[in-house]
Amino acid sequence: MTLSLLFSLLALALVRGTPILLASLGGVLSERAGIVNIALEGEMTAGAFAAALISFFTRDPWIGALGGVAVAAAVGFALGFAATRWRVDQIVAGMGINLICTGGAAFGLIFVFNQAGVTPQVPAINQALWPLVLLGILLAAALQWVLSRTPIGLRLRACGENPHAARAAGIDPLAMRLYASTIAGALAGLGGVFLALGELNLYSDGMIAGRGFIALAAVIFGRWTPLGAAGVALIFGLLEALQFALQGNIAWLPSDFLQALPYIAALIALLGASGRYRPPAAEGKPYP
Amino acid sequence: MLDDVDLTCEAGEIHALVGENGAGKSTLAGIAAGELSADAGEIERDGRIGLVHQHFALIDRLCVWENVVLGNEPRRLATIDRHAARTFVRELGERYGLDVDPDAYVEDLPVGIRQRVELLRELARNPSILILDEPTAALSPGEVGRLFATIARLTENGVGVLVITHKLDEVFAHAGRVTVLRRGIVVERRPIAEITREQVARAMIGGEIPSIPAHQPTDGPVLVRVEALAVPGAIEHLSLRIAAGEILGVAGVEGNGQSALADALAGLTPFRGSVERPARVGVIPQDRLVEAVIPGWSLVENAMLGRERAAAKGSWRIDRAAARAQCAAIVERFDVRTASIDAPLATLSGGNQQKLVVGRALIDNPEFVIAYNPTRGIDIGATATVHGELLAARNRGAAILLISFELDELFALSDRIVVIARGTLRGEFSDRRFDRDAIGRLMVSA
Repeated sequence: MTLSLLFSLLALALVRGTPILLASLGGVLSERAGIVNIALEGEMTAGAFAAALISFFTRDPWIGALGGVAVAAAVGFALGFAATRWRVDQIVAGMGINLICTGGAAFGLIFVFNQAGVTPQVPAINQALWPLVLLGILLAAALQWVLSRTPIGLRLRACGENPHAARAAGIDPLAMRLYASTIAGALAGLGGVFLALGELNLYSDGMIAGRGFIALAAVIFGRWTPLGAAGVALIFGLLEALQFALQGNIAWLPSDFLQALPYIAALIALLGASGRYRPPAAEGKPYP
Repeated sequence: MLDDVDLTCEAGEIHALVGENGAGKSTLAGIAAGELSADAGEIERDGRIGLVHQHFALIDRLCVWENVVLGNEPRRLATIDRHAARTFVRELGERYGLDVDPDAYVEDLPVGIRQRVELLRELARNPSILILDEPTAALSPGEVGRLFATIARLTENGVGVLVITHKLDEVFAHAGRVTVLRRGIVVERRPIAEITREQVARAMIGGEIPSIPAHQPTDGPVLVRVEALAVPGAIEHLSLRIAAGEILGVAGVEGNGQSALADALAGLTPFRGSVERPARVGVIPQDRLVEAVIPGWSLVENAMLGRERAAAKGSWRIDRAAARAQCAAIVERFDVRTASIDAPLATLSGGNQQKLVVGRALIDNPEFVIAYNPTRGIDIGATATVHGELLAARNRGAAILLISFELDELFALSDRIVVIARGTLRGEFSDRRFDRDAIGRLMVSA
């Protein structure tokens, strides 16, 4: 393999890994605060679809991008609200959000554009692709620092480990979880925006393709730390890139298998990780 | 729960609040500290009231200093000033005799040290009153001494300390005043000099203390034979025998291999060496909430745990009526106080939960009983019930292994005592000739 080929492979890995990375940072944040976030997939979908929609109507991709992030943040807020104020089972709420978002986007395509499966081409921010990749990596480092070094980070972790003790220390675990879930939605939404307006210039059904769940695997395999999750997300990106690179080059290997590579890797990683890594102690448990 | 209770705690005093389980002590503490709210009445606080819980409310996976400064972090710009936090914890510890490594993770610390962390956390908030809920329930004798030394320093500094307990030894050794709570009502309150132990005990249970049956000498056949038992990291080369109708007490400081010994004999952990024991074993686990019960399940279901076959009576189906009858029998015989046997176990006080656990272990008349801290954190009445039942099991001919961190309990019940330290037996005391000092020395031998 030549050096330039290696570089292009790594570049592709960064691009493919970034949406997973962004979503996984959201996952780390909400799970460390105590909210299981299986809604990442739905939040990415909401971000991608809303961004394409808003960009189409405003003809301004930046407003589209911001709108996508805002809508996904609202979805994260809804998950947080259901989980804290209504004490809904977080897995059920997350699953519901995933169904509503994917279904809502599919319905929206027909309702708004009168066509199934894909939006028309919309103004995009392809020029911001690399800055966004960089932003993702910087965000990972920043979140790592916030969680480990700042008062708000310590308090957030306390809420995910033992909300009763946090309450006794004067912290409001419900508010903390709500904030964390909202920011998590925004981060996952940014991942969706990256796919719809950064890499492409449209939204199509199924474009998230399980990346929200892969991000969740990255959260677990990254031991619930921002840098760990980011690293694992980029490895998944590398596997996706490999799949592109190998496609057509290895005749005896079915392309379906190559496409499944990142998912198989996620599965194996989770099998290896399960039992060895401990999630935040109060994760998924309603408070009070 | 509580009815028209009044209570004062003054600066610099040690005020003991005693009462049986379910008397409302912890509820009162929660209300005083502002964690629970009362239906009527008012609380006047001059400064902060700190509460150290019975089940320590620490965050296991944060380190000591993080637990202590949480919610009130020293800052340097946007970050936590870790150096200041560590120094703060160390200095606070030195001032009150609570030395702890600020960087240790709470989950790695033994119970006694965790309590120090919780004390530090409350002291960091400068309380004028400190409430300690059953502070000695999980401590070794040495740790109890240290705790009361710390409490003495607190009162010298003008902090009022309210100690919730049911150990009258401690009340009479350290407290200035005592308040007795029974079924949510204050039934007695006096300076300690003006009241006797018997008066306090009678006020607590509202009657005479149940007496425990007398010891009879035993010379039954050996039922339990342990040879060269070894559990990696916990026990090396331990041998012991227990005869029918004998209670063998195991004295030791927590964390010296007792858990591994109990688990090995109960068949819960792999071991090397040989263990011969009867088929029918009753186990009273060390930690009720972790190993013994499912709090959300009903009494009937909890009474069935581990005895499902007895409840099914040889059929493939659980006989609900039989299960209920067996649970009712346990409730009746072991004096478990509950509104209903269908109520969730969590609605019972700790002592009543423990009575159900003990009853479940003993109701089928096992030939071998493993009792690990069978009365940890429960009151005089419940303790007397449990002690009486253990002695009754012994007198029926059961072999009993009694592991306890309370020497008084071991002395009251054991026919023989062995001392465990660092996973090996260090000495044996037979014929009920127990030397407290010698045992204490062996417990901490290297």
